[in-house]
Amino acid sequence: MILRKEGISSKMARTSRHEVIFINDINKILRQNIREWGMYIALLVIMAFFTITTKGVFLSSRNIGNLINQTGYIAVLAVGMTLVIIISHIDLSVGYLSGFLGAVAATAMEFWHLPVYVSIALTLVIGIMAGFFSGFLVGQMKIPAFVATLAGWLGYRGALQLVTMSRGTIVITNDVFNAIGNGYIPDIPDIGILPGVHKVTLFLGILIILFFIVNAINNRRKMQSYNFKVLGMHLFIIKLIFGSALIGGMTWVLSGYKGLSWTAVIVLILVFVYNFIMSRTVLGRHIYAVGGNPEAAELNGISVKKITYMIFCSMGMLSALSGILFASRFKSATTTAGTLFELDAIAAAFVGGVSPSGGIGKVTGSIIGAFVMMSLTSGMNLMGIDISFQYVVRALVLVAAVVFDVTTRNRKKI
Amino acid sequence: MVKAIPVVEMRNIKKSFGGVHALRGVDLVLHHNEVLGLVGDNAAGKSTLMKILSGAYIPDEGEIFIEGKKVHMVNSWDAHQQGIEMVYQDLALANNLDVAANVFMGREAVSVKLGPIGVMDEHYMEQETKRLLDRLKIDISSVRLKVESLSGGQRQAVAIARATAFNTKVTIMDEPTAALSVAAIKKVLDLVRELKEQGCSIIIISHRLEDIYQVSDRMMVLRHGRKVCDTPVTGDIDTFREHVVAYIVGARDDFAEGGNKQ
Repeated sequence: MILRKEGISSKMARTSRHEVIFINDINKILRQNIREWGMYIALLVIMAFFTITTKGVFLSSRNIGNLINQTGYIAVLAVGMTLVIIISHIDLSVGYLSGFLGAVAATAMEFWHLPVYVSIALTLVIGIMAGFFSGFLVGQMKIPAFVATLAGWLGYRGALQLVTMSRGTIVITNDVFNAIGNGYIPDIPDIGILPGVHKVTLFLGILIILFFIVNAINNRRKMQSYNFKVLGMHLFIIKLIFGSALIGGMTWVLSGYKGLSWTAVIVLILVFVYNFIMSRTVLGRHIYAVGGNPEAAELNGISVKKITYMIFCSMGMLSALSGILFASRFKSATTTAGTLFELDAIAAAFVGGVSPSGGIGKVTGSIIGAFVMMSLTSGMNLMGIDISFQYVVRALVLVAAVVFDVTTRNRKKI
Repeated sequence: MVKAIPVVEMRNIKKSFGGVHALRGVDLVLHHNEVLGLVGDNAAGKSTLMKILSGAYIPDEGEIFIEGKKVHMVNSWDAHQQGIEMVYQDLALANNLDVAANVFMGREAVSVKLGPIGVMDEHYMEQETKRLLDRLKIDISSVRLKVESLSGGQRQAVAIARATAFNTKVTIMDEPTAALSVAAIKKVLDLVRELKEQGCSIIIISHRLEDIYQVSDRMMVLRHGRKVCDTPVTGDIDTFREHVVAYIVGARDDFAEGGNKQ
């Protein structure tokens, strides 16, 4: 009897000890990665909150689909803005530049009767030229980016009004162009299984989950073979399940409406490319080096000027893309297009963990930041909250994000 | 006996900034595997001389020979190509990057090249950095630590390690012990000894005579843009200090004539 009792109690002690180790592990991991995971947690909390307060409307396929399309043109700017802030600059001109370039695209198609692809290419090239000019002012003439791009803000606002002056609003009639902001990827025709579900989207989602899992396992193996510390097995499995569930859930919600939009495809490709450049290539490393210590970078043969030019050119090109997405979504170019986009993009970057003092930040984080800001807008709209309160709430979230950044960094130093 | 070719020889270097003559014809010789201490008061011209050697300034007059070959350097990249590396006083490290990224900054190893975009070989860089730190007996737990989380002494060690990593012929250190604690100074000096042991040629600029007395083979004093003393480090610290300080403050100025007579 006694023996058996002891056996049971020691077994219980063992499981509880395992649990304690497990909880300690989670605590430790959370504390170490709080900067990186903070915004994911924030996004989940915000989504859960609005889902409850709107009785599920927020998480409906239709709303999430619209939310992604609305986030698209800000997300594109946020990607470029991340790089600009990493090298300790700022670009205030992107909002009206985006509006102006949207009007240029509309004019090219409607008045100059250029083919749609030529119009898009032309718009992107003009965007790169505009970025080159900002790069010239900031990198070559050493004018503070704040002042140089404030001039751009004024100038492009004027240019937008000039282009749209004759008619006020330029209506875009080209279907291909309008599909960029409103269209969805085609589905295979209904073959009886899963009616009402977008099967191509579902298939892509499954592919992405598989890619995520295989990639995570490969990385873990590689890290282990280099003798680096990796997540414990149980935490690793939880991470895999959590990640897969998130992608799977998102896919399921999206495939319940019209599937993956072209906007989402563009943003996904953009994030993939920029993330790869920033994390894996020499160019990305040089950008971070310039952000961390420009003098050191210069001494080591990295041209700060060249990097500045490249980043502003990329920002100009992405402004053009944002303008195209916005004009396409509303099937027109208006005199007020692009108003306050720059501030939304900057806020998205800060919420997404980009450090205001430069050198730190990830493209993926800024995308999450853009989603946080857009979820707030969408959710509060659904709840019928007055627009003036919406601004206040978004301001508080922005301040909270920057305070979070500063405090977690200071703690790390100690 | 054939005299070995010095690794660096600077002859009659002159440099003025406007009306200020920072250097009025200075000669400098650094032999292989030698540690040369460069001392002098503020504005004596030691930093200017080293900035010329590291390519940051172009001299108005004078010639520079690296291993007997005359070179013409117009920027720090040229100097880098010649195997001359300078460790700056204000620590030219990027705090937001890890140790390995700092060691390889500006010369990242590439595994695949996609047109103008090179994909980095992180594994290679990490292994090489680890090897480098082990070789120099620098105690840093992981090469993936961000530099901002290191102590002042560790940062200085990383900066020095980076400067000596890539077939460097001459390492110039500008005030390597400034703003460090006593324990950290000892570590940096140990590192200098270790580097000499492994065959490096080093020039150290410092105000702290005691520090470089311990590691230097020879000491050179500049005053008002002229070389006023060039002497092997011998004797005990007190006599040596007295001897050198006299030249630093200008109490003695008999070197130039003596040098000519020899």
